[in-house]
Amino acid sequence: MPARAPKVLIVDDEPQIRTLLKATLGRAGYVVVEAANGREALSAKTIDKPDLVLLDLGLPDRDGLELVELMRGDPRSALIVVSARDQTEQKVAALDLGADDYVTKPFDTEELLARVRACLRQRLASETDQQVVEADPITIDLLARIVRRDGKEVHVTPKEWNLLAALAKHPGRVLTHQMLLRSVWGPAQVGQTEYLRVAIRSLRQKVEAEPSQPRLIVNEPGVGYRLMPNEP
Amino acid sequence: MTEMDVTRADSSIATRIQAYAGAIAMVAVSTLVGLWIAPRWGTAPVDMIYLPAVLAAAALWGLGPAVVAGVLAALAYNFFFTAPVHTFRIDRVTDIVTVLVLLIVALVTSKLAAGIRSQARIAEAHAARNATIGGFAGRLLSLSRETEIAEAACTELRRLFDCNTMLVSELPEPRIITAVPAGNRLTPSDIAAAALTLESGERAGRGTNRSQPAEWVFSPVRSSSAVIAAVGLARDDGHVAVEDEQLPLLDNLLDQLALALERARAEADRSEVSSLRERDRLRSALLSSVGHDLRTPLTAIIGAAAELRCNDSKNPALVATLESEASKLERYISNLLDMARIEAGAVKVRTEPVDLVDAVAAAIKDLRATLAEHEVAVDLPSTLPLVRADPQLLHHCLINLIDNAARHSGPTGPINITGAKGTSEVRLTIEDEGPGLPQERERTLDTFMRIEGSDRKGGAGLGLAIVKSFTEAMGARATAANRDAGRGAVFSIRFPKSLVVDAMESADAG
Repeated sequence: MPARAPKVLIVDDEPQIRTLLKATLGRAGYVVVEAANGREALSAKTIDKPDLVLLDLGLPDRDGLELVELMRGDPRSALIVVSARDQTEQKVAALDLGADDYVTKPFDTEELLARVRACLRQRLASETDQQVVEADPITIDLLARIVRRDGKEVHVTPKEWNLLAALAKHPGRVLTHQMLLRSVWGPAQVGQTEYLRVAIRSLRQKVEAEPSQPRLIVNEPGVGYRLMPNEP
Repeated sequence: MTEMDVTRADSSIATRIQAYAGAIAMVAVSTLVGLWIAPRWGTAPVDMIYLPAVLAAAALWGLGPAVVAGVLAALAYNFFFTAPVHTFRIDRVTDIVTVLVLLIVALVTSKLAAGIRSQARIAEAHAARNATIGGFAGRLLSLSRETEIAEAACTELRRLFDCNTMLVSELPEPRIITAVPAGNRLTPSDIAAAALTLESGERAGRGTNRSQPAEWVFSPVRSSSAVIAAVGLARDDGHVAVEDEQLPLLDNLLDQLALALERARAEADRSEVSSLRERDRLRSALLSSVGHDLRTPLTAIIGAAAELRCNDSKNPALVATLESEASKLERYISNLLDMARIEAGAVKVRTEPVDLVDAVAAAIKDLRATLAEHEVAVDLPSTLPLVRADPQLLHHCLINLIDNAARHSGPTGPINITGAKGTSEVRLTIEDEGPGLPQERERTLDTFMRIEGSDRKGGAGLGLAIVKSFTEAMGARATAANRDAGRGAVFSIRFPKSLVVDAMESADAG
């Protein structure tokens, strides 16, 4: 964590949601800036330079995905989109456009804070800090290309390693099926969801304490997977 | 047509009189010219003088006037110019030849001219008929609604055939779509005739050999595949509305009418489809806006309760109640919206290979508050095949089934979630150790819900109805039964062979 408190920009047209998020994020020690629509959001993004933007996709004046496109690609500022439960396609589209993660309304406060932490950690941490990822009971050493379970090295196939490494490079963040398939199997295989399912299953057999009730590699239905790291 | 014919009939008597008078006048003029020539150059050229007269009469007026001209010319020539002059006697052979030639010329020329004229008349009639059909089709083509087309067709037919018209449609009970003039009624025998035409596609009614007592004559309007309507024609004076020779024209016009009606119907169907689509779009938009409106305050409540739990724990039990009730409300709203979506036919299914481990874990995670006190045993073998399912719909099904099990197994009752591969299906079962179902036999969820109705407490009916609809939408099946050993209910989602993905060996492929 840097010396100054991270700044979060809340973009939501509902004042009660902004009040709530302000209280939640304030309690967790973040500085909060608010915007009620897309126009305000874009100007606040430029002026206040937030470390993270919490963007509701259902804004009255701008298409949510359009805003994602305008806001992405800024390495100093992470982007989490907020959407209704039943809009899987929209979530996936936002992630594919470059959003770092998403939360679903109504959100669980602790889950929201965990996502915010994960995104900020990655934005603020230097590259070298990320070389070893701890996710009990495993440790993933990205530099040495080794995964240990309770201190003992676990043998994984090259595909399994690539998959685990892709997840470990973004600890706590969701990666869509497409992203994982593209980075592990290549762009020609993005439609082969079953490759991913099968590889995830065999990886879980090796790293999860209870493979049929996974806690490390967590599925987001219809969206993708995330690796749950140890909370610092 | 009729007005044209009447004028033609009226004028033909006058023209015929004129023609004969003309023929006589021409012979008279020729005779005068001959009388002027004969004293000066002799009678030899005089027979030539009559020839143009006979030719002209034949060419201009046809056989009758030509023969009259020929006979008169022969008589006049005989009377005025052959010896003995001023008698009808013929002495010289050459004069007999002249008279015969004049008669033959009259006959042959008039015959030829008549042929040409009648061909011209036929061409003219064809052109007129084509113009009539074209005009009729053009008028109908400019209209798009069926009633407008019917109205215009009746008006046009009335003008062309000078009779009362109507368009009849709809078996088994023929119904007048349009009548011109309006207010025409049908007698029972007219209705019988109309029905006959609509049914058989043959003309029926007055002037035909079918249903003769009718006042109207009905002709079929045929589309490519069926008789879509019948046009009735009748005359106030009781005469046959359309003469036989005009029937082909009428049929041609009705073909045009059929095309226009078919086009209008196709267009109406198309616009109905697009309006249905529009209605679906509005419904979906309404559902998501209702969802948004219900969830926004709920999000604030759930979030505020969580903040209270963290900051102000004077009454933690109350805060816990607030949180758990709010999340229950969230689930009910979710179910209501799902149900509305099902009833609106707005459920979209997008299947992909799904690992049931993922599906079960995600459902348990979302229900972690509800399941906090329950012992949940998950048994999903690592050899369980993937299944094709819509992850979102499956998630809602599992939430409902696991929540249902939690509700009926008491506050701490165990819940077993098991996956198994049978010979013909992959089955995911959720067992509770609650009181079970009142029925002994295994039932489909459908029967279960019909018998149980809303008896099961806590809105289970809605949740199970959603499970049923969503599993069926994915091509799977949901069933309910009692446990074989001990108390409790077993709910299953069964994925048939066609939804089972056998691709386990492709783990490291690609």
